[in-house]
Amino acid sequence: MKLLREILFPLIAVLAAFLVGAIIVLLIHDDPIETYKLLIGSALSWPDGIGYTLFYATPLIFTGLAVAVAFRCGLLNIGAEGQLYVAAFAAAWVGITFGGVEGRSIANLSAWLLVPLACFAAMASGAVWGAVPGVLKAKFGSHEVINTIMMNFIALALVSYFTQYHYKAQGDPILQTVPISASAHIARLGKFIPGLPERIPLNIAFFLALLACVLVYIFLWRTKWGYEIRATGANPAAAEYGGISTGRQIVLAMAVSGALAGLVGVNEVLGYRYRYYDSFSSGVGYGFTGIAVALLGRNHPVGVVFAALFFGALKRGGLFVDIFTEHVSKDLVEVLKALVILFVAAELYFRGRLGRFGLMRRAKI
Amino acid sequence: MKLSGSILLALLCVLALVLTPACNLSKASADDKSKVHVGIVFDIGGKDDRSFNASAWEGVKRAAKDYPIVLRDVEPGDPTSLEPAMRAFAEKGYDLIIGVGFTQTPVIQQVAHDYPNLKFAIIDGVVPPEEQLPNVAYLLFKEHQGSYLVGMIAARKSQTGTIGFIGGMDIPLIHRFEKGYEEGARAVNPNIKVIENYVGVTDVAWNNPGKGKELAVAQYGKGADVIFTAAGNSGLGAFDAAEQNGKFVIGVDSDQNWVKPGFVLTSMVKRVDNAVYQIVGDTVQSHFQGGVHVFGLDNKGIDYALDQYNEKLIPPDVLKDVEAAKQKIINGQIQVTDAMAK
Repeated sequence: MKLLREILFPLIAVLAAFLVGAIIVLLIHDDPIETYKLLIGSALSWPDGIGYTLFYATPLIFTGLAVAVAFRCGLLNIGAEGQLYVAAFAAAWVGITFGGVEGRSIANLSAWLLVPLACFAAMASGAVWGAVPGVLKAKFGSHEVINTIMMNFIALALVSYFTQYHYKAQGDPILQTVPISASAHIARLGKFIPGLPERIPLNIAFFLALLACVLVYIFLWRTKWGYEIRATGANPAAAEYGGISTGRQIVLAMAVSGALAGLVGVNEVLGYRYRYYDSFSSGVGYGFTGIAVALLGRNHPVGVVFAALFFGALKRGGLFVDIFTEHVSKDLVEVLKALVILFVAAELYFRGRLGRFGLMRRAKI
Repeated sequence: MKLSGSILLALLCVLALVLTPACNLSKASADDKSKVHVGIVFDIGGKDDRSFNASAWEGVKRAAKDYPIVLRDVEPGDPTSLEPAMRAFAEKGYDLIIGVGFTQTPVIQQVAHDYPNLKFAIIDGVVPPEEQLPNVAYLLFKEHQGSYLVGMIAARKSQTGTIGFIGGMDIPLIHRFEKGYEEGARAVNPNIKVIENYVGVTDVAWNNPGKGKELAVAQYGKGADVIFTAAGNSGLGAFDAAEQNGKFVIGVDSDQNWVKPGFVLTSMVKRVDNAVYQIVGDTVQSHFQGGVHVFGLDNKGIDYALDQYNEKLIPPDVLKDVEAAKQKIINGQIQVTDAMAK
């Protein structure tokens, strides 16, 4: 029953959002059926639609998990954005510095060493960037929301600086680093899946994201640390009383959260652009969308996967709706996302209503 | 359950209200496959920037009027959306896909490589000859020629013997404006002093009018009395400064003489609209040709603007000399240095 409810409410929220979206489309004099056909059709067409939807979902799984882990500890990590920037730059830095790139390398490692090293660098730097607000919260009680936001600005400015003044190719008008070594690339899935062209950037990081979901589940529900994190989130005072060092759990949760956000860098740098591209997560960034993903996914790894797929499909379909309809712009998709979040947030209200419905029916019988 | 009942009623009312105008929906989604499909991807500035993008938009709209084409456009808004937008057109099999601005060069190279049967055009996309693709038209402009002419005008108009140049982003493309301008000025007055500044080194440099104004005020303070801006939106800050200091400014890309009448000496116009119009026309008449297309003074791709807003600002003798120089550049008697040529 509980499981059914966990699935049902986000689903209702999505349907309700689409209904309201349809009304909006009608109001701007376009055809909602055609619009939704285009939205869903372009997100699920084979191979480009599915390929891109999964590709867009990959970073959102990472950031959704990141936000979910922090949330289970009672923390709101608004800093996934900054964590993933630092991590992506770190991954690129490893790919350049240890990959035998001419004039910039100190070593030339083989792919078997370089790829894990770059992944580790991404996770470690993300973890450090996440742990700092964690420590500040545990030691001084300063609020993690403020500190993670501030860390975002520092991260962006810092990596832009290093890209511009130290790692950009001479005379390149675009703010990006030199390419990473070819041995740091991870394979695109087009290599293995027949019918999926290699131009679609969907890569092994997608499976890494699914693996991360499994590991996060095990970590949170099958280990002592996970239990202590959840206990801290549920009731810090009780956890403290039960002998759990809540301060340490806060730092741990933020570090794990940051490491997960950092894995976005693997998808972006090692699997897609093969370089660090400044402000690659601009617009409504992956880090911020991750909050919505976690919310819609009810802070559970499985929910996060489905929510990320949903948001990935919206991103893909939104572009097509923007271009190929007469009046509807891509802002419709932003409206849909906002409505979904609104309806999820209003869930308590719905829950009360429907609950009473159920009671009434039973009473009648 | 009174409340949910009334909510339901309210919802139905809204639906009924909404469905009335819905009956005359535009059925524009119907797609005529026989027509040539043209997609245009704008730069971050968007199609209403009154300058570069606006000019490209002008060109395709004119083409859509004259030729039977299906035209779709997209304003990506942020640099990471450029590639998906361009690929969306390619996926739908659009016949001609136009990228506006040099930022899209690497993207268009990739996409054109993946879709060899589609045709592409890129404005300001400079690619070494060995990397050029047969299905891409590289639309380039001889900005240095036009800059030479406005440099001449600036030097003739200057009373202090000092003129200024404000570039947007510090990149080779803009050095081309700067070098041409300087040469033109020196041709008139070998001892002229040229002060140069750039707004920045990242692409936000195109969109920082505050910094543009600051630089202009500083240059006027150092004695410059004419400033040439090649800085997109940031240049508009210099227009403000010109008005406040009672000095002159020279516009760029579009004819910007009307922006601050009386203070805009002239504009170095880059007819992006003509270039775009021509490539669409070529595609419709199926004689599209890949490779480099150069637009200069000779084929009216580059010019300086003269209209009712500035005709009183440029003395007739100056105009005569500038026209003479223009002819000499077209004939090849004057060779203006191209800062991008290596």
